[in-house]
Amino acid sequence: MKKRIPLILIFVAGLLGVISFVIPHPSYQVYDAWIRNDLLRVLSAFAVVLALGSLLRVHSDKIRRKRRNWQYSWLLLIAFAVSAIIGLFGGVAADGILPTTIGSFSYDIQTLYENIVIPLASSMFALLAFFMASAAYRAFRVRSMEATLLLVAAFIVMIGVLPLGYSISKHLPAFVQWILNVPNVAGQRGIVLGIALGVVATSLKIILGIERAWLGGGE
Amino acid sequence: MKIYERLNKIDRRIIYAILFVVVTLPLIFPSVLKVTPMTPVENLFTAVDKTTDDKALILDCSYAPQIKAEVEPMAIAVLRHAFKTRKKILVLSLYVEMIGLATRALNQVVEEFNSVAETYEDSIIYGRDYVFLGWQPPPIVPMLGMGESISNIYVVDYYGNQTDTLLMMQRIRNYNDISILVALSGSRIPISWVSYAQNRYGLQVGVGCTAVSGADFYPYYQTGQFTGLMVGMKGAAEYEELVEANHGVKGRRVASEAMLSLTYAHLIIMLFIVIGNIGFFLHRRKK
Amino acid sequence: MNISTDPWVWIASILSIAILSFLYKENPFFRAAEHIFLGVANGYLVTFYWHRILMPILFRPLFQQGDLLLIVPFIVGMLYLTRFIPRVSWLVRIPIAIYMGYWTGVLIPATIQAQIIKQVQGTILTAPNFQSWNAGTSGIAWSVIVFIGVLCTLSYFYFSREHKGVIGFTSRIGIVFVMIGFGAAFGYTVMARISLLIGKLQYLLGDWLGIIK
Repeated sequence: MKKRIPLILIFVAGLLGVISFVIPHPSYQVYDAWIRNDLLRVLSAFAVVLALGSLLRVHSDKIRRKRRNWQYSWLLLIAFAVSAIIGLFGGVAADGILPTTIGSFSYDIQTLYENIVIPLASSMFALLAFFMASAAYRAFRVRSMEATLLLVAAFIVMIGVLPLGYSISKHLPAFVQWILNVPNVAGQRGIVLGIALGVVATSLKIILGIERAWLGGGE
Repeated sequence: MKIYERLNKIDRRIIYAILFVVVTLPLIFPSVLKVTPMTPVENLFTAVDKTTDDKALILDCSYAPQIKAEVEPMAIAVLRHAFKTRKKILVLSLYVEMIGLATRALNQVVEEFNSVAETYEDSIIYGRDYVFLGWQPPPIVPMLGMGESISNIYVVDYYGNQTDTLLMMQRIRNYNDISILVALSGSRIPISWVSYAQNRYGLQVGVGCTAVSGADFYPYYQTGQFTGLMVGMKGAAEYEELVEANHGVKGRRVASEAMLSLTYAHLIIMLFIVIGNIGFFLHRRKK
Repeated sequence: MNISTDPWVWIASILSIAILSFLYKENPFFRAAEHIFLGVANGYLVTFYWHRILMPILFRPLFQQGDLLLIVPFIVGMLYLTRFIPRVSWLVRIPIAIYMGYWTGVLIPATIQAQIIKQVQGTILTAPNFQSWNAGTSGIAWSVIVFIGVLCTLSYFYFSREHKGVIGFTSRIGIVFVMIGFGAAFGYTVMARISLLIGKLQYLLGDWLGIIK
């Protein structure tokens, strides 16, 4: 029962999803709209509650057991608590019951997002430029004809897409567009078709209960 | 140490330092490079330009903070384009961590236009010229739901206003009233727009994407599923160029300013690859 | 040089440098910044899910406006929380089954239509495809190259038979197209990564230090 009920539900839900595409009649679409707009939206919110609960549990556990680098977990919990209080009581557009300005200094949730989340996230990805340069120097070796082809295509695109390409030759950007529109499309489309067929096959396997990894371990 | 050993063993910190200098100096000592728009960007620009007065366009700002540098200039360019040509525009995000970026881009461009507006008609007025719908999860809900009714999905907008009371929303009901949706994203969201909204409702979709996804999206551009395509910071610079050249919009062109830096960085990375391979071949020959 | 006096710009810049310090080696500043990021990002998440989803779509309609049908998503959603109660944790499979089932069901026809049928339509040799290139008679050549390229790429990824004979020949052509595609992707990836670094430097040198005008 612990596996049978979820397997039946996934089959029924999957069937409803497929049917929604083939029955455009309003009398059915009303039910489909309820499933999407009410049921799925609420489920997505509770899934986030679960994810947050797990995150808080992991870090609380780390603090309680004084695991390695447990002190940083305090930072996470405090940062989460402060930003959640400011957001929940200060409101999305600083329209809540909690005041979010002191003089000209504001600390509403949007300000926290713009000055903490955005800079930190963008800095993490800015690091990749350095790692990519180092990795390209260390690992990109022309050992075969295929690697040579990859390198030549990469160099042509790297030069051709920039204004430098136009300065070298007026035809270079057009040639790069041709590479992207013709051989690149041919190669990528083969991969797209293969992946799409795989997605459809896996989706069918999940709905029909053949693929059961999502059930997790246990009974 | 033999020469090929030196070529093969350059310390990574030297590589980091050289890259840092090469990227930074052109930013400090800038030089304007002429950007020539390519066909995919021109197609997108033309499609947005063709939006008639009775329709609106949707701007989906679904790009994460991690890729803001590449995609935010696209959002700003499209918003400038829409506001300058008085196209009605709806702005939304599909994921919560991206809604703050949409807010940021909107606030910046609205402020740009309103700071120089002299009359009420010139100003960019919320509800009349643009609506910020906000965010509703999961993505499939707005993708399919807006085909029937936008106000049913976004009952309240980002600021908490009842959407169906806004002036613009009296005439913009669903995808039939939308000329094009411009999806700005760093992932496969544009393909989802095509799979769901375009398949079922025939919505025209234009794309602005990170350069990482650029090559992957050309098959969809070639079939016409994507009306137009902006790829990476260069794509953003091309759109900025088109907006300024065709509609005289003057504003800071962040992507265009980066072109010289980008050029030198590409050249230095190509040099690193060549040096690495010279060392590799010399080492192989020695053996 | 026109250094910013906005405290938030200083906070953002110091946190950015803490992250960039990872280039030297991992250090306490990097870890601290990482954890602060996770905490604030999740606080932001909670704000929006509460104010824009749970309150207006569930709690207000259910408890204030009397829309009793919403009791179903409420109860099913609450089953997610059984994950924390080991004895009944199997109940978490129910909301997962509903959410994932509907999603995968909708995905099947959408994928077939957009990523299989449309892509095949764009590959086959028809007059509209020849004309879509806007290249006159060259359009026929480009369409033929795409057609051959797609077939050869698919033959390269067909591993159920040994790559010998005809399949061996076509797969060798297929790899050429795949390598060109990957080369283009690599070239674009270089541009992407450098762009992100440029964006960060534009902020630090412009908004913070005022070196860039």
